[in-house]
Amino acid sequence: MPALDVVIAGGGRVGFQTAELLADRDDDITIVETDGDRVDEIADAWLATVIHGDATDPAVLDQAGVADADVVAALTGKAGLNLAVCMAAERLASGVRTVARIDRSEADDYSRLVDEAVFPEHAGARVAANRIAGSEIKALADVTGDVEVMEIEVADGAPAAGKELRSVRFPTGTLVISDDDGSRIARPETTLSVGRRYLVAVDPDVVDEVLKLLRG
Amino acid sequence: MSSRGDREPSAELGLVDATMIGMGAMIGAGIFVLTGLAAEIAGPAAVLVFVLNGVVTAFTGLSYAELAAAIPKSGGGYAFVRETFDDLASFIMGWMLWFAYMIAGALYALGFAPNFIELLHVYGVTPPPDEIGAVAVPGLDVEIGAGLLLAVVAIAGLVGLNAASTAASGSVETVFTVVKVSILGVFVAFGAFSPAFSSAEFQPLFTGDGAAFGLLPAMGLTFIAFEGYDLITTVTEEVENPRENIPKAIFVSLAATVVVYIAVVTIAVGTLGASGLAAAGEAGIARAATSFMPTGLPVIRNGGALIVFGAVFSTLTALNAVVIASSRVAFSMGREGQLLPSVGRIHYRFGTPFAAVLLSAVVMLGSVVLPTRSAGNMSSLFFLLSFVAVNAATIKLRRERPRMNRPYEVPFYPLPPLLGIGLNLLLTVVLVVYLVRTDPLALGLSVGWIVAGGAAYLGLNRLRRARSVGEEPTPTPREDD
Repeated sequence: MPALDVVIAGGGRVGFQTAELLADRDDDITIVETDGDRVDEIADAWLATVIHGDATDPAVLDQAGVADADVVAALTGKAGLNLAVCMAAERLASGVRTVARIDRSEADDYSRLVDEAVFPEHAGARVAANRIAGSEIKALADVTGDVEVMEIEVADGAPAAGKELRSVRFPTGTLVISDDDGSRIARPETTLSVGRRYLVAVDPDVVDEVLKLLRG
Repeated sequence: MSSRGDREPSAELGLVDATMIGMGAMIGAGIFVLTGLAAEIAGPAAVLVFVLNGVVTAFTGLSYAELAAAIPKSGGGYAFVRETFDDLASFIMGWMLWFAYMIAGALYALGFAPNFIELLHVYGVTPPPDEIGAVAVPGLDVEIGAGLLLAVVAIAGLVGLNAASTAASGSVETVFTVVKVSILGVFVAFGAFSPAFSSAEFQPLFTGDGAAFGLLPAMGLTFIAFEGYDLITTVTEEVENPRENIPKAIFVSLAATVVVYIAVVTIAVGTLGASGLAAAGEAGIARAATSFMPTGLPVIRNGGALIVFGAVFSTLTALNAVVIASSRVAFSMGREGQLLPSVGRIHYRFGTPFAAVLLSAVVMLGSVVLPTRSAGNMSSLFFLLSFVAVNAATIKLRRERPRMNRPYEVPFYPLPPLLGIGLNLLLTVVLVVYLVRTDPLALGLSVGWIVAGGAAYLGLNRLRRARSVGEEPTPTPREDD
């Protein structure tokens, strides 16, 4: 699976965190940010090419490379601006996937305008609710601190496809949890079959390597 | 049990480590192997050859610093050009850089062999290098030169190592570099006080009828001695605070390398003389050392042996570095879909870019039959061309993406990248003209590689189209629980 080419408009907390997660997966990221100080902070993290400018300016979107991008994600704090960026990107590069951050939980209306609408505050609120309740049952997204628990489908032609688990050497910080689409706990003799999904716990810094093994 | 991972991920590298990686890759074989050949072409002006090459390559170094700080990718020069140019141009760039590293590998292996034989000779294990004939291969009715056999063994060994393990980077590289530089330091210190050096003759600086024109071809041949900071940009991901440390590491390693080269070549020319150096060929530095280092020392007996050991060690570690570098370029190209996808996959058991390493090894092994000089010429030629592309990428990005954040900016833009392009092209032209006259084999093979690249590009595009047509009508079955 080749890396995704992603343009993120808005390098604030949501945009930056998203970029961090995607960079761990080895995707190519370009962030468009208006604030000069923020541009320097993002550059320090060295995970994305940064364009200093306003994402609603078509010339800036051009420089961010929307023409060759797979996905444009507008993640600023302003829903209206995000929709404008997505629609401008769609005009400049037809067929590019668009993701807009919105400011309420009912996303259905937006599906006519963008490919995906996200309301990150919802996920944040679930995490907060889990913490407040303090129960032993927690949503998967919150059980883990830095560890990523991911469900990964083995791709055709991937290096580990068709191999038994015991013959595949994963990097330190990897734990294959379940096999056969989550029906039982993985064993050494479990075979990684193409098209099946496996639940894997991974340290953030080796996510890319695990994906290279399972997705090619 | 085995569902847990047990391979160690790589550690963080500091400024010193990054600098050492660059220096380690540059101060490898170039200085040991090519000084003799440079002296043969340029005479005592060989010193000047290394200084001027340092100046020329510094312009490209500036471009590398700007691009590496702005584009957070670990693929080195290929990654930058891929980001800037279209499909075909970036393919050609990757194809050339890959070849440059592979031929450099052959060159280092060819430099390793005579130095290793010299080392054995110093300890009386074998007769003098020029008296060793061919070695009969058991079972086969053929004879292979001992040097060639050693070169093949060195490549095969390091390729095996890199195909099977991802260990050894950063801190190991620092130790290697410190050892190399220390040995050269000993060489310079003893050489400077030797009687031969105190009566050294650097006049006339320019010998022969070609006079100063001998400089340019010698520069072309030894240009590869400054190949190495590209390697810093292939490990950026592991460097802490890269947007500051990468430009610094590039400049520091380049400056330090120039200083080391000036000292070493001055001593070598001063003690052995340009003609003596030229006669010693690939083992020039080692021969110079044997002439003035003290003998009768404990353990190592002959002081010259230390320098010969340095040459053996340097060529081996540099060979290791280019085995890694060449496979990383091929791996990046595979991941970008510019070579067969299998080249861009890691091995399910070793975690290494297995196919990329093996593919690079094939070309390296095939190239050891070349004369050392041809390998140096070809490698330099392709590095020159790919450096032109990197400078062009700097200019193109500035024009097309002016709002891109550049933590480090080339000073006096656009002068340095333009000078970089101009000077690298000048050396390319001089080298090509020189090859037409003296080394048609190297020129023919170079053209052949580019033609093969064109064919590979067309073939891969056709294959990709055939695949995407074959795949689309049959969507992959999905099981939903």
